[in-house]
Amino acid sequence: MTRVFVFTNHKGGVGKSTSATNIALGIAGMLQRAGAPNARVLLIDTDSQGHASLVTTGRKDYGADDSLYTVLMADRQNAAQTFLNCIVPSTWDENLHVLPASPMLEGAERELMGVAGAPYRLADPLSKIANQYAAVVIDTRPSFSLMTEMGLLAATDAIVPVEPRYLETVGLTSVIQKINDIRAGWRHPNLRVSGLLVTKMDSRIRGHNHLLAELKAHPVLGNLLLGVIPANEAVSYAHRNHQSLFSYDPRASASKAYAQVVGALVRYLSKGGE
Amino acid sequence: MTRTNGNTSRMDDLLASVTGELLGDLPQTFNDNTLRVERILLEMVRPDPVQPRRVLPETIHLNFHNNRVTPTQALRELVQLVQIAARQRGRPFNSVLELLPNADDERDEEASVTLSPEEQLLRNLVNLAVTIRDDGQVNPLTVIDVSQGVTRLFRIETGERRYWATWLLRDFITSYTGDGMIPCIIIPQQQSSVFRQAKENTARSGLTAVALARQAALLLLTVHSFEIPAYAVGNDFYRQALELDLRGKREYTEAILSAMGSIKRAQFSHIKSLLRLSDEALELADRHAIEEARLRYVVNVDSEYHAEIVRQIIDFNLSAKQVKEICEGDGILETKDTADISPSAMKMAKATQTISATTPQELARALMRQEGDASIARARLQAMQKLVSDAERYLAND
Repeated sequence: MTRVFVFTNHKGGVGKSTSATNIALGIAGMLQRAGAPNARVLLIDTDSQGHASLVTTGRKDYGADDSLYTVLMADRQNAAQTFLNCIVPSTWDENLHVLPASPMLEGAERELMGVAGAPYRLADPLSKIANQYAAVVIDTRPSFSLMTEMGLLAATDAIVPVEPRYLETVGLTSVIQKINDIRAGWRHPNLRVSGLLVTKMDSRIRGHNHLLAELKAHPVLGNLLLGVIPANEAVSYAHRNHQSLFSYDPRASASKAYAQVVGALVRYLSKGGE
Repeated sequence: MTRTNGNTSRMDDLLASVTGELLGDLPQTFNDNTLRVERILLEMVRPDPVQPRRVLPETIHLNFHNNRVTPTQALRELVQLVQIAARQRGRPFNSVLELLPNADDERDEEASVTLSPEEQLLRNLVNLAVTIRDDGQVNPLTVIDVSQGVTRLFRIETGERRYWATWLLRDFITSYTGDGMIPCIIIPQQQSSVFRQAKENTARSGLTAVALARQAALLLLTVHSFEIPAYAVGNDFYRQALELDLRGKREYTEAILSAMGSIKRAQFSHIKSLLRLSDEALELADRHAIEEARLRYVVNVDSEYHAEIVRQIIDFNLSAKQVKEICEGDGILETKDTADISPSAMKMAKATQTISATTPQELARALMRQEGDASIARARLQAMQKLVSDAERYLAND
């Protein structure tokens, strides 16, 4: 079964898009190097801001005919085919494919309000084509909206990027609670929290170190800690150049940290998600 | 095409340094090139456009493979075709399920009804679709992964009938409750082979003589390094094989004859010769599954008569002997005004139209078989040469 990673946190600016895009690329690259016959990774951008689409495809003009919005509005029977038609190649790597977001996704939530089965409009077609990919990565918007619910219902593994700050760490429990609600409330037992990703870590700040130590010491959260990504200016420069972090500056500390995370996820994939 | 970043190699270096450390022995777990079975979205699967065994009638086949119609539209065309034929025969139907025999009807009417090939085809597809609905798709299709870039596509190697039956089930049979997926055995592209496809075809019943001729052509074209296209082709593509033979590729002779069902060279030659039939005759012969033994004589007749003779074979269920008499005897010529010309002269005149159908070696062998002596054979040829020269002089003077 193809693992579907969703990067979610209702707090904005914690590095969801940065993590989703770079990790998606990293998985594709590492699988290719490992000789996997299928090294394709699909990135789904559910954030109407479309940042992940912009940096990975160089475009942000996706609309009613060529984006996730198109998939969500398609007839149920044709949704999978529409999904396939809307996938575009990434400029980063030929094995990274993108289902781009559109600003119209804002309106999609209103349009789908009251439509039967609306929360499954991403999960259903994705389930039919996911096996074409080694992994699927979903970037979500910073809110607990219908779009985020769709992303969680389509996913098997939730990864929560979190900044090592007090309020963000407090909010972490509500994110995990939300994921548990989706799992139980929507009868989606396959969904689990597979990792916490501490982002924008600045070891010079005592508070960051303190919170990271607390997180590591926590009996549950400590086991979920997937990696620690240091705060790094290379991230914003890479975004500005529409490049991946790995390509922009492979020696940057954030690049190395993301590579470690990618390695852990590829190992997880190779064990079939065990 | 995707635009790859110039710094990709730097990323590779970075990831490479991590792979060894983090993955340990795991890379080998990905190096699995064995066949795998997966459920694939029906829309991601396409029949092979050059598959010798045709399921749909030729015109629909070409329309579909030239992307003029979707699978649903192609089936709708077939259903409409059958509806017209059925109405003409006094058996109109609205739902495709009505094509199936009624189990409650104990009359022997069913047995006596002769179905047109299209009716029979649709009926078989409906029957298969109902079986899939009731028992599931037990036998997966064999497909080749021909995906390029973001376009995910699988080309059917075997199982095209099951593919069409599943579409029929999805779009024409109301009780379908499936999810639009179809189980497939996926073969890596590098393992796909025209020889394997040929063996699969010949191993199963129902391969028509015309399909065999196309298959022979595909094998010959492949071993002569012709590029096999990934799009629909007309009969002229296969006819290129008429200029080729096994002699040019002796190392493949055994493999080709084996893939064709362990037939003999002469039979292979007869089968290949069927490609000389006109397009219409090929279509009719394929649709009505006329055997090679009944078709072999037709290729020696002028192509304008092919379709008519094939129609007569179908309408009057002519035997091979009767076809031979029509094609080689006076039958075909009866329509002409032949009162003042002897049948022998007409036969010779007819033979001049089919000179390209033979080779000097074949003619020499045929003469040897007929006369049993090289000297007599040469004498016959010299006599013929004189006759031909005189006839030519006569034409010039006339």
